Amino acid sequence: MSHHDPVCIVGIGETPPVRRSDKNLRQLVIDASIEAIADAGLSPSDIDGIVTDSVIMPNSVPHEYVAAQLGIDRTFDAALSYGGAGIVCAPMLAEMAIRAGRAKNVLCYFGVDWGSIPAGPYGFHDLYPAKTAYEKPFGFSGQPSYFALWARRYMHEYGLKEEDLAMIAVNQRKNALLTGRSQARSELTLEDYMNSRVISDPLRVPDCCLISDGAGAFVMTSAERAKDLRKPPVNVLGVGFAMETMTGDDIFTQKPDLMHIPGAAEAGRQACERSGISLDDVDFAEIYDCFTISCLMQIEDIGFCKKGEAADFLRSKGTTVDGGFPVNTHGGLLSYSYRLGVEHVVEAVRQLRGEAGANQVKNARIGLVGGLSMPDYGVAILGR
Amino acid sequence: MMKGEEITMINSLDLPSLLPEFLPFWESVGRSRLSFPRCTECGEFHWYPMVRCPHCQSSAVEWSDVEPEGELYSYTKVCHPFGDKLKEKVPYFVALVTFAGAPGIRLVTNLVEVDEDKLRIGMPVKAVFSGADGENASIAFRPLVGS
Repeated sequence: MSHHDPVCIVGIGETPPVRRSDKNLRQLVIDASIEAIADAGLSPSDIDGIVTDSVIMPNSVPHEYVAAQLGIDRTFDAALSYGGAGIVCAPMLAEMAIRAGRAKNVLCYFGVDWGSIPAGPYGFHDLYPAKTAYEKPFGFSGQPSYFALWARRYMHEYGLKEEDLAMIAVNQRKNALLTGRSQARSELTLEDYMNSRVISDPLRVPDCCLISDGAGAFVMTSAERAKDLRKPPVNVLGVGFAMETMTGDDIFTQKPDLMHIPGAAEAGRQACERSGISLDDVDFAEIYDCFTISCLMQIEDIGFCKKGEAADFLRSKGTTVDGGFPVNTHGGLLSYSYRLGVEHVVEAVRQLRGEAGANQVKNARIGLVGGLSMPDYGVAILGR
Repeated sequence: MMKGEEITMINSLDLPSLLPEFLPFWESVGRSRLSFPRCTECGEFHWYPMVRCPHCQSSAVEWSDVEPEGELYSYTKVCHPFGDKLKEKVPYFVALVTFAGAPGIRLVTNLVEVDEDKLRIGMPVKAVFSGADGENASIAFRPLVGS
């Protein structure tokens, strides 16, 4: 393949967004993977490479289980970071393997059963020793409390209002309801937001992502092979991966500048440089919206607007699918499902194929996906 | 939280789970002192405790006492109980406190004796120690003014 030929996403699959599934995580991952392979018009035996994150999947649904279940004789597998940054950067590893001739068709997958298992996402952070030994005894556990400290400080430094956070939640709920299958099913108005339960102030229920069971998957191959496949290919134009050099223990409270996510800035810069795409060319963005405040900060840090200006920027643009800068076109982690960003990649592909349906962004040609796994960050720019 | 109303300090509940790296911190708290790891090579503080200084990788790290008065960097009133043990504790305040004598460190702690309407980022706060016997040592912070 030519150095300039893109590597493509040719198949997508995901399980329905739900809080609790009657299927276990292995079943969910296999369902999504089979759907993605079939969507590409391939057979499991065509797959020869597997990529996922390097923490959550290897300890729950590892490469070799997926390979054995699907009959994949693999010549390549790889894993990077964890959760959101891991799966958003999976196309980087798949691209390297395909360009190097190490694999022809690569399956990328991710899933969680945090809707069902005790302690869910909160339990995941028990892997960090200082959180368990020092922070938990102060009642400082649960991701909403971490981001509440950021939100309070951000409000102090930049004059952010509750209404600004509400705008993100309300707009994403509108996008979600258009899909007809989102986990959040009820309308959300500004008034609903203001009357909603406080979790860890200033963050309320609608500021916090859902908790879900489910999996998503996508298949990648070369542009040349993509021509013969079932669906129009979506090109991986550029991927960036960067981080802040801090431990998972320190990153929520000790990072030198609590108001900036430098990994997002650097990953975004890498993705733009590799793709030759300017952020002005991006038609829509799927941003890791674990919380309204973190979504807003990433939009600034990636560089869509200056620090402290995201609320005005998003309000003036409009972030619903018919707005000037659609963000989280499926409703995101806040309103669609919380599978740590694999649904963001799947949704971006859907948008670029023109398959989204009622929540389709008109003339969507270039989409940016951002994945956060503190302290890591991934940006993938996709296009058609 | 009304003026003068105290909440139980909750950080002493789980002390048996502490890591050895944190022992010097709690031993200091047991003596009503606040101390943090500091590199004797480069002079920088770091937090949380690490095997080597993360600034210069020196293993010459010692614990250094710091004036237990600081500034409120951020705070949140936690209303949702993240775990059964916290059901009877909510709502309570978690804060980040910074110290002039330990640049770069933001200490996770609880705020007590809080008049919520008078809480302001940047306000001075002072450590409240209890439990002198080390095993039940506990630390929280209270506003120095406005309460």
